[in-house]
Amino acid sequence: MIKFVVFLCGAIVMSFEILGSRVLAPNFGSSVFVWGSLISVFLSGLSAGYYLGGWLADRNPSSRKLSLMILIPGILFLTFPLYSAAIADWIFTKDLGIRVSPLLASVALFLAPSLFLGIVSPYTAKLMICSLHTSGRTIGTLYALSTFGSIVGTVVTSFYLITIAGTNALIVGQGILLIALSVPLFFMKLVCRAGEN
Amino acid sequence: MAKTRYLLFFIVILFPLRGFALEPSEKLLFEKNSLYQYISVIEDTVRKERYVRNQKKEYAQGGIYVNAPDKLLYEFTQMVFVSLAFLEREPQDALFVGLGAGAMPKYFSRYYPNANIDVAEIDPDMEAVAQKYFSFKENERMKVHVDDGRLFVKRARKKYDWIVLDAYQNDYIPFHLTTLEFLKEVKSRLKDDGVVVSNITAPFRNKFFDSMVMTYRKAFPAVYIFKGRKSANFIFVATTGSRPAGRAAVEARAAKLMAAKKFDIDLEAFAARYELSDAYAWEGARVLTDDFAPVNLYQHQKSGAR
Repeated sequence: MIKFVVFLCGAIVMSFEILGSRVLAPNFGSSVFVWGSLISVFLSGLSAGYYLGGWLADRNPSSRKLSLMILIPGILFLTFPLYSAAIADWIFTKDLGIRVSPLLASVALFLAPSLFLGIVSPYTAKLMICSLHTSGRTIGTLYALSTFGSIVGTVVTSFYLITIAGTNALIVGQGILLIALSVPLFFMKLVCRAGEN
Repeated sequence: MAKTRYLLFFIVILFPLRGFALEPSEKLLFEKNSLYQYISVIEDTVRKERYVRNQKKEYAQGGIYVNAPDKLLYEFTQMVFVSLAFLEREPQDALFVGLGAGAMPKYFSRYYPNANIDVAEIDPDMEAVAQKYFSFKENERMKVHVDDGRLFVKRARKKYDWIVLDAYQNDYIPFHLTTLEFLKEVKSRLKDDGVVVSNITAPFRNKFFDSMVMTYRKAFPAVYIFKGRKSANFIFVATTGSRPAGRAAVEARAAKLMAAKKFDIDLEAFAARYELSDAYAWEGARVLTDDFAPVNLYQHQKSGAR
């Protein structure tokens, strides 16, 4: 279950990034500055999330808290269509220049969700590490799952999902998925069993 | 762990390297990976033609006759001018979205020297290439703006008589220049009874073509389609006037334009290809919007009509 969460969060981050380019294009175009903003903001979110996730993981970690970390981006995604156009339109009318405008829009729309999704990997690692003898393997497995999820998220979104549904519907769908994941996590008890890593 | 995958993604998106081979008669004059595309300028020394290519096996993006750089080399660029027969007046202000080799704005300014021309082109290298290799020159009436076409249209305060949309490559179409929202923004930049003309490439009547027809029909009260004979290009002409332009009226105006302007292309022959967009409309195709526009995938899917 928890490995599946890591995989799916990895998939959703990159899927959201692909969709993010489509969210930005109507107001900010598809110039190199838009791509630069988008990618750097996602990386900033993930980087801050990794750090924060590690910090939080050392403070009485539980799968209940992890479920909250997934619930928050879930709600952000679920309500995305309610605020995204308003924010993007507002930044467009401010016209802060071809570099600052897409950067600011990316920060406003993508930083918080990518930060919370970044928390998941290190936090899960802490929850899953039962012994220092196997901690390397645990962390390696989680990294691999997260990145493999990202690959799947990228390919499936850009090759397939965008032909069957609109951008907003897909983001809302991901929100529902994250919320659905957070529910069982909330009631789950993670205990290290002997023989498991 | 994320760094490499982003870097790779960035490279794949922005710097596609494409090797290519030349025909024996072809000479490579210039090549560059610009911020947005691979640009090569090739001269065919036998046919005395020079053109821009973004990929080896693709049609050229634009080009000229080396010995007659003011003429229009490609059929689709000639066909675009048939849309002038839908205007009831002499165009004063024109906008081109997409520069390419600059052949169309150059040709237009030759026949309409008093018109004010704006060109929106995203790629600064494309402008440099048009100037250096395709004898395109800006002047006080013709200005190139290095900007995303959508943003230029959205920010424009001016209105135009004639707007030419030609910003699609054969292998890559910017989705935000295909949507209903974009076409409505374009429409809002038209003067009364202004005309929009768009070059759509659809090699085997793909799904992209089906959706473009329906999207134009939703955005504009009247849409006409001219089909290329030498290439897979379709020229969409959209008007905002409430009265549709009948075939006879368009043909008559094309004849009048030929006589008045002495065009070196046969507008009357192109006008004779007049078709209402009804002939291509297929209700099963989805209208493209900012929310839903999988254009680059639709390009590779066969038309759903028949």
